[in-house]
This record gives sequence, structure tokens and C-alpha cells, in this order.
Amino acid sequence: MYWDSKMETMDREELGRLQHRLLKTLVYRLYSFSPFYHRRMEEAKVHPDDLKTLADVTKLPFMFKRDLRDNYPDKLFTATKEELVRYHVSSGTTGKPTVVGYTENDLEEWTVSLARALTSCGLGAKDVIQVSYGYGLFTGGLGLHYGAERIGATVIPTSVGGTERQIELMQDLGATAICCTPSYLLHMGEVAEKMGVSIKKDTKMRVGILGAEPWTAEMRNRIQDWLGISAYDIYGTSELSGPLFTECTEQNGIHVWGDFAYTEVVDPKTGEEVADGEKGELVMTILKKEALPIVRFRIGDITSMTREVCACGRTHPRIMRITGRVDDMLIIRGINVFPSMIEHTLMGIPEVGQHFQIVVDRKHELDTLLVRVEVKPEAFSDKITDLMNLKAGIEKRLESALTVHADVELAEPGSLPRFEGKAKRVTDRRKL
Amino acid sequence: MFWDERMETLKGKELAALQLKRLKWTVAQAAKIPFYRDLLGKASLGPGDIRALSDVEKIPFTMKKDLRGGYPFGFLAVPLEEVRRIHTTSGTTGKPTVVGYTGNDLSNWAGLIARNLTMVGLAEGDVFQNMVNYGLFTGGLGFHYGAELMGLTVVPSATGNTKRQIEMIQDFGVNAIHCTPSYAMHLSEVAAAEGARFPTLQIGCFGAEPWSEATRAELERRLGVSAFDSYGLSEMYGPGVAMECQERDGLHIWHDSYLVEIIDPATGETLGPGEKGEMVITTLVKEAMPLLRYRTGDITMLRDEDGCSCGRGQKISRILGRSDDMLVVRGINVFPSQIEHVLFSLPEVGEQFMVYLDRVHQLDEMTIEVEMNRAAFSGELRDLHRVQEKIASALRETLGIRTDVKLVEPGSLPRFEGKAKRVVDRRGVLF
Repeated sequence: MYWDSKMETMDREELGRLQHRLLKTLVYRLYSFSPFYHRRMEEAKVHPDDLKTLADVTKLPFMFKRDLRDNYPDKLFTATKEELVRYHVSSGTTGKPTVVGYTENDLEEWTVSLARALTSCGLGAKDVIQVSYGYGLFTGGLGLHYGAERIGATVIPTSVGGTERQIELMQDLGATAICCTPSYLLHMGEVAEKMGVSIKKDTKMRVGILGAEPWTAEMRNRIQDWLGISAYDIYGTSELSGPLFTECTEQNGIHVWGDFAYTEVVDPKTGEEVADGEKGELVMTILKKEALPIVRFRIGDITSMTREVCACGRTHPRIMRITGRVDDMLIIRGINVFPSMIEHTLMGIPEVGQHFQIVVDRKHELDTLLVRVEVKPEAFSDKITDLMNLKAGIEKRLESALTVHADVELAEPGSLPRFEGKAKRVTDRRKL
Repeated sequence: MFWDERMETLKGKELAALQLKRLKWTVAQAAKIPFYRDLLGKASLGPGDIRALSDVEKIPFTMKKDLRGGYPFGFLAVPLEEVRRIHTTSGTTGKPTVVGYTGNDLSNWAGLIARNLTMVGLAEGDVFQNMVNYGLFTGGLGFHYGAELMGLTVVPSATGNTKRQIEMIQDFGVNAIHCTPSYAMHLSEVAAAEGARFPTLQIGCFGAEPWSEATRAELERRLGVSAFDSYGLSEMYGPGVAMECQERDGLHIWHDSYLVEIIDPATGETLGPGEKGEMVITTLVKEAMPLLRYRTGDITMLRDEDGCSCGRGQKISRILGRSDDMLVVRGINVFPSQIEHVLFSLPEVGEQFMVYLDRVHQLDEMTIEVEMNRAAFSGELRDLHRVQEKIASALRETLGIRTDVKLVEPGSLPRFEGKAKRVVDRRGVLF
């Protein structure tokens, strides 16, 4: 089943011509209206007229996450205040968060991308879709909500948390599909069994749209066998609009709609394009984005791509499972966390010393984040209540900055390891 | 400014004719639901028996507890394929109440919210920060869709993280906020402590819990906004049922979508304008879940005057209380019967419990003292802690809010000879 069969199965050459046309329109617009990108293009000595073929895209300069941070909150926007209809916010690398603005057309493109994707996973108007991603500033919840609503499904906006209630509703309301992180679904499976409910036997659940964190083929097998569903990988980041693309029922790579995005995979060191099938850093250009232009954006995710036509008949390029990051970004319960953000927050607290450690683990299928913090000698108190208050205060500051809870453990001055070379402050004990 | 001027200002005979037409349709729609087929059958009423608006009084009431019997889909008048959205709201015991929406219901609902937000002075280009829960709670998605329909820029900030909320109001140049009045009060305290100001903020839409004129004055002073009272309930879509206009003297209820009666909660007798009683609503446009003479439990009155200087129709007073024992805690409806249901299903719980409500830093806190069952108590501290966590987590699952559970010795809580008075509300008015 296709949502838009003409577009999804478009002849590759025709798709290439369409991409070239969209790219030129985008770059002309940015050259005229985005002071930031105009300057970048001048520095790179490239003019919109230089885009003679689609391959000339490589002449364009890259954009990085830090560009968004440096232009907080809306200096990169190319839409007027009246044209903006939504803001989403994700955690940044330090201090301020990353802000993404949307025009009405941006929301429409995002919704259509997901309507195609959900249809390619075999979902339709008869399905009851439970959206268990967080609603609000995080793009997962509202993104999938709009996509599921567009295909005419019945949407249950459960958002995150209240796991027992989620399982009860899944069963009582006859949910046929769920959207959440793969680890949360595994956690649900465990809790369900404790409640005496088998998701495989006692519910109508048949499809999982799982993402916002990396997962493996082994995890897919486990989820499918144990829970009796087909599990599909979904990909997107808030800078690109949010979750956008999924695998189809072939489960062989994520379809990236070519009329929506131009995809490249590059060597993270040189920025040179790597061959199809080879691993590198994912770089994307969102061709019709209006409010926050994204051109050759270095996402930081490692993957490979293929341009072969999929067995499902869709002609658009596919990217393979994300296998890692080029930077030190961590994903905790679907939320992106940069160690630099933790450092920035800790160093703003007067009682905190120079040294800290980050330990990531997984308990009952859910990620845990522990931050060990050395207390300055002068702030170190014998009174337990003082230390408890300090711990609670640091936890609150971290949660506010990271939007995910971190347990804080206070350590005596001088007790944490010192590093001579590059500090290795992060220990990730999760086994994927 | 109006969003839908004709509907908003419809009065007199024209309004009555529209209401009657829609009432007939609603009775026919409701008759697709087995519960209503029985109810109407027992009252010997067919759709043809509704010939005048006053004939609505022949229809028996629908109570909150009736909805419990229909869990999950017993109150849907359309097949599930036509249901585009499901929200849930607290039931009177363990299971929630399920509310279904067709595509038309979702667009009608967004339209009603757009009327409200236009009425308080917002228009395309304004930035709206929606600081209530998204998800199953109707407050978040309800206002979100209405604001989006109007072309406002929506910041879907949801609840929590007050410092970040303050930062966003400032950095995005937010013009209007929507939240519970107690959260607004809390936000203003945190902002004052940080020395934060809100030069762009003009309008506060506050609802989901009762609040006073004193609180309004305080919020307007602290936040520099005009504060508007918003009313709704999930059974009637959610927020958007009624709201104050610029006059801020009574709430405009949308008479083209809701047929309002005020009754004496003890006798069920219909009361006239100016008389205080329980509000009973019959939906006029709801497709998926029509409700006939639904007892809202909210005490208010229809205003004497049929109209308003703004041009819209007859108003209701601000909510003056409840006819039942429902509590509103941080904007969430809680029935003491739900608490009892949860506690008495746990073997570790003894015979008695008490519920205390307090306000700490402007936010509601619910403390529940629970007598332990001696047989389940090992005497070890660790065990005590485990039981406490278990009770708190069971309550959280059902009520949807965090509570502070305290375990006490068997026999230490008060016994009641007559009707047990297990809830002590110490909150008083805000601030």
C-alpha cells in the first residue's frame, strides 16, 4: 500500500530532476533571505547559479549543530513571526536548547512524510495507534500524532509514563500499533507479564514504530518473537522537523523521501562523500523547509545508504540502521544528552568541584543516568541534610537542562579519577 | 473580535430553533447507544417526542457513574473506524472514562477553542505557550488544535520545568499563556525569585480548577496579564465549553453546541436564571459520544440578562463549587471513591484512610494516611518503605497524580459513626 504511489515510485531520473529543481529553489531563496547562509556561501565562494547539476550540491557549505546554538533562538529562521505556527525545543550541546520553528507548510510536509511512512508499515484507517512518545516540546509525540491522524487511524495519545495504565488501555481499547522507543516497549512487555498480560496473546497489537534511540537487529528479533508484532525502525531528529522516515514492511532500510530530503553520507573527517553501502556520517538537506532551513546538515549519526529500488517498489534512497555517533552524544530514554551540557550545568553550581563522572546503564530495559560529582572541600559538610539538599539541588538543575532525570552521587573532594590525557568521563554500560 | 460571529451572537427564537433542530438530531444519535436506547425506552420517549426545547426535561439524567458501566466503548454512537481520537478522564472508580471523537468532533472542538481565544483578544501572529499536560488529558491537545487553527504560533511546552518555561516566554516573545491558575501562581513566584519579567505577555487563560477573584487580581498584578477563566470537561470534548470575554464578568457558554440547564441537585427540578444549582448539559453537535442531560457536578447559575455588551449570548457564573465530592488536584479531577477503590484492593492496607489537601509553594499536595494491615506488616523499616512505594505507585496509576503516602499504625486514624469524612481540604483560596 502506498500513501502517494506516484511520488513514492517515481522513476529515479525523474526524482533526480525534481530534487535538482527543489534544491535550486531552496538555495536561491536562502541566498536572498538568509543572512547566515548567504555569508556561508560567500565564504565558500559558491553562488546559486553554480548548482548546474544535482552533484553540485557538494559545493555547498555544511551546517552544524553549533550553528543552531550560536543563532539561538531564531536568528536562522527565514519565516516571519506571523508565518510561524509552532516551536519545538531539544537539548543543545551547552546552555541554551536548540529551537526549531515551523510554518504551516513545514507541519504539512512533516505530517505527509509520516503518513507515507506509516502506510508503508501497513497501517491505515482501521488501525488504533497508541502514541507513547512524549508529547509537548519533544517532537516524537506530536509528530506521530499528526501522522497517525492523517492516515485516518484512531489515535490514543497516551504519551510516556503510567506503564500499567498504558497496558490496560492497549488491551481495553484494542490498540493495533504502538509508537515508542524500543527500550520502552521491552519495559512494557516486562510490566505486562507481571500484570499477567501477554502482549502477544492478550492484545491486538501487530505493529511497533520504534525509534529515537539506536537499536539492533537482535533487539528487533526479540521484540517480534516475544511480543508477536512487526517492529519497524523510525528515523528523524528535531532539526529535520522530527521523526520522519521509517522502514517499509520489507524491513530493509529506512526510506528517505527524495522529494523531501536530499541525503548524503560523508567521511566525518574529510567531508567527502563515501560510496553507497559504506559507512559514514549522515548529511541531510531538507528541500522544502521554510522556517528553519537545513542545508547539508551534519547530523552526527553514522549509517550507510543505498539507492537500489526496494522490493516494495519504492524508488527513494534508503539509509540503514544507525550504528553510532561521530561525537559523544548519548541517548537516554530517547532524549539526546551531550556530556558538554552536563559539564556546563555542573560548572555553574558553586559547590561543585572540577571532576565528575557519567555512568549510563540499563535497568528493567530502561536507561539510567548517574552523575558522580566531586564536592568542593569548603562545601563539604558533615551534616547529612546539607548534602541531601545539595544533591537534590544538582539533580533539579540537571533535569531542567537535560529534560531527563539524572541521579546524582556526591563524592568527597579528590576521590574521583584524574586523567592525564583526554578525560574519559562517560561510562556506557548498556549492551545493545 | 469574533471567530464565528453568527454562531457566537445567535439569540432568541433563532437560537432556540437551531437548538431544537440539533437536540432532535442528538436524541436520534444517542439512540444508537444501547444505554440510551434503554433509557429512552423506559421513559417511553422516541425522537419524535422532542417537539419543543422544554421536552428535554422528559429525558432522565445521565450520571458520571453511568459512564463507568459503558467502559470502554459503550457510549460510542459511531463504529470505531470513524473514531479518530480517544481521550480518557478519571472515572469514579478504578477504570477511566473513555471519550471518543470523530473527525467532525475534532474540528468542532478546535473551532470552539478558536472562538474562546479570539474572544480574549488573540489573533494570527500571536505566540501562545500551552503549559498544561498533553496526551490523554484534554487540556493540552484541545487548546493546541484551537490555537493552531487560528494561526497562532504554539509553544507546546506542557507542564514542568518552570525555569525553562520562563525562559521560553521571554525568548519567544510569548503573548499568551494557558495553564492552571495555581501553576501560574507558582510560575510567578519562581519568576519573582529570579527577577524575571515578561514584557510581551498580555493574556492568561486559566482553567481546570476553581479559582477566586482575589487570585485573578494577584495573577494580573504579578504577571502583567489580563486573566480569563476557562471552563470545560472531557465528557464535553474538553476545554472550550465556556470562557470569559473581555468583560470578565461571567462565562459565555456556546449555546449552539451545548444545551444548558441548571437544576436543584437534590430534587432534579429545573431552576431559572439567577438561581444557583448544578449545571446539566446536553450536547448538540457531538457525533461520537452524544450525552443527554449530563450531570456535570458543577454548581453555577445562568445569568439573568440574556446577552452581554460584547454581543454574545447568555452567560453562566464562574463555578461556585461541586455538588459531589470530586476534588481538583493540580488541575486533575480526583474522586475519593477512586482512592478508596485503589487502597482497598491492596492487601497491605488496613481499615481506614484519610486524605489531606494542602498548598505548598502555590501547588496542590495530596497526603494520604493509610492504616496498615497488621498481618502484612513485618515490622522492618525496609518493608515499610516498599509498601509505601507500592501504594503510591498504585494511586499514581489510577489517579494520574503523585501523592504522598504515609503509613500509620492500625487503629490510629479516626473512626466515624455516621458518614465517614475522609477528606480534609486545607487549601483555602490561592495565595
